[in-house]
Amino acid sequence: MTETQDAMTATRLDRLRGGLKRRYAREARFRLYGILAIAVAVAFLALLLGRIIDQGHTAFYAHEVAVPVYLDPARIDPTYPQGTNFEQMVAQQQLASRGLEGDAAGPLAAEMRGLFSSELKFEIARRVAEDPSLIGQTVTFDVPVSDEADLYFKDEISIDTPAEQRRLTNQQIGWLDELENDGKVQAHFNSRLFTSGDSTEPELAGVLGAVIGSALMLMVTAFLALPIGVAAAVYLEEFAPRNRLSALIEVNINNLAAVPSIVYGLLGLALFINWMHLPRSSPLVGGLVLALMALPTIIIATRSSLKAVPPSIREAALAMGASRTQTVFQHVLPLALPGVMTGAIISLAHALGETAPLLLIGMVSFIPGIASSITEPTGALPSLIYIWENASERAFHERTAAAIMVLLTFMIVMNAAAILLRRHFERRW
Amino acid sequence: MKQTIYRSQDGLEGGASAPAAEVPAELAAAAQAATDPKRSAPVGPTKISARDVSVFYGDKQALFDISLDIPDKTVTSLIGPSGCGKSTFLRTMNRMNDTIAGARVTGRIDMDGEDINARSLDPVLLRARVGMVFQKPNPFPKSIFENVAYGPRIHGLTRSKAELAEVVEESLRRAGLWEEVADRLHSPGTGLSGGQQQRLVIARAIAVNPEVILMDEPCSALDPIATAKIEELIDELRERYCIVIVTHSMAQAARVSQRTAFFHMGRLIETGDTEEIFTNPRERRTLDYITGRFG
Repeated sequence: MTETQDAMTATRLDRLRGGLKRRYAREARFRLYGILAIAVAVAFLALLLGRIIDQGHTAFYAHEVAVPVYLDPARIDPTYPQGTNFEQMVAQQQLASRGLEGDAAGPLAAEMRGLFSSELKFEIARRVAEDPSLIGQTVTFDVPVSDEADLYFKDEISIDTPAEQRRLTNQQIGWLDELENDGKVQAHFNSRLFTSGDSTEPELAGVLGAVIGSALMLMVTAFLALPIGVAAAVYLEEFAPRNRLSALIEVNINNLAAVPSIVYGLLGLALFINWMHLPRSSPLVGGLVLALMALPTIIIATRSSLKAVPPSIREAALAMGASRTQTVFQHVLPLALPGVMTGAIISLAHALGETAPLLLIGMVSFIPGIASSITEPTGALPSLIYIWENASERAFHERTAAAIMVLLTFMIVMNAAAILLRRHFERRW
Repeated sequence: MKQTIYRSQDGLEGGASAPAAEVPAELAAAAQAATDPKRSAPVGPTKISARDVSVFYGDKQALFDISLDIPDKTVTSLIGPSGCGKSTFLRTMNRMNDTIAGARVTGRIDMDGEDINARSLDPVLLRARVGMVFQKPNPFPKSIFENVAYGPRIHGLTRSKAELAEVVEESLRRAGLWEEVADRLHSPGTGLSGGQQQRLVIARAIAVNPEVILMDEPCSALDPIATAKIEELIDELRERYCIVIVTHSMAQAARVSQRTAFFHMGRLIETGDTEEIFTNPRERRTLDYITGRFG
């Protein structure tokens, strides 16, 4: 009797043990899958970021060359300095210093001109206009080298690069080596990238115009989408009667959140530009379109965070004799605020990176200026990336990656702000 | 278990009066103590009078023709098994059912002879006169001071900051919480213990000086010591207010209330002096419930 009981207990325990082993094995497998999934995700992210940084880090420094220029009174008209062909003048002087003058210098002048950025002529003209007494003296100008020369100094191209893949001639490379050996070339932080607008010359192009355009656009979006979105969500969630109409509205808001952004671009083009005649390419129109796009997301995020406020708080306020409005604005909304903020900032960050609608409202044109109001034409970061990536100059490629880094930084800052705001408001218990 | 219920209902149909001996002695003793004339103030005049009150949630009827008088300066307890409608009835008295979509109340509830469901009566005004304490302590996520000051503030009851501070102190004192929180009035109300939070919301309710305080199972989330404190407090508050308390604990009903109403399946089965209900109920179902045969 006791033996059979013992035997039964033994098999029971064996079964339990066997089952337990299987359960633990399953758990271990599942954990492994999870780790693998994370590893794949991290690898892709690292690849993406690594490639962008690898491609773009060189854009953050640039080479300048010190060029001594004899401001020849015979060639400069002090009343109209801009009229002088400074580039040709400098090229001839440079060639002369290498013993090449007259007919021998003629065909080489174009090659010599190609070493320096077009900034050189503007800089000389500016200085001479400022101080005409400089005429007749020799002044040294620090100017950027041309984009191709910069690439050479960055080892992106070399004498071994097949001639059809580079614009620099062997002669130019020889001169560049000379300049470098003379210690006239210096690498320094490329502040132009952050202080100037777009340009057709890669070495002079910067992201500032696009950053300001994006910031202005985002301001318009935030000023419109935030109050309207939050107010709509509060009304729908707290005040609207639950009937067919409100159900229909809810379904449609969810649908709008899924509408492709290019459709919003078309809507913006038809509504704001063709019908309301708002200025094309302006942050105002861009902001309006992005606000339309961000609204459904903000409404959905706000509603779900309002829903998450415990009903006991509503009951407490109502039972104290607070009106519905007081209940919502004094208790429910403050508690939902962290969620509202996070949702809003994430949808704004999303809007910041949106490119498709900008294509249709003229923000992908070449706009070198920097906007100072929301009605002036401007580019935006995503469209700048699009333009630069399509540019034929090789030097724009590293700048594309740099612009992507700027955009990513912008977004990281916004997401960090979302997290900080959330923490700040949650700390009020 | 089911059989017991059937049998008890058979007994009801027979109209047999319940034998008093079946009521546990402690319950009866507690009930007698609570209604002991030496300890309790005399039951006041009728404060709230409900007549044929029915409540519907959509198509479902939750309450059937409740008629009940609730006296002033008295604790009236509403008892009954879960889902019997006692909380629903409690919520008709400050029109909290208005906030539930699809809820409908019929019948008449008078407070001091005035119909509280009348269109002319603003529920906001009513709720300033009828305070409520919930099952789960629900202080606002604000400071202790702000919690108590909230009512007087939104109803504009105080004229100055000093007056408001006075009201807050007075309310906290009456809720027996002042000594414990006087030095941290500006720390969060949600940081207090469960029992303290419940006394805080009682202080919040009495800060607007209501006439009636409704309590929906105020101790069900509390430990026995906190419960004892709240019960003591209820006993003190009875001198000034009309208190209606919903409770699942027979012992609590017996300890704190002078009047008891027993609800079952949306109907009011029996009402009377607590002592009588607990020692000599007229209805079989009341007896079965208070002796723990169902519920």
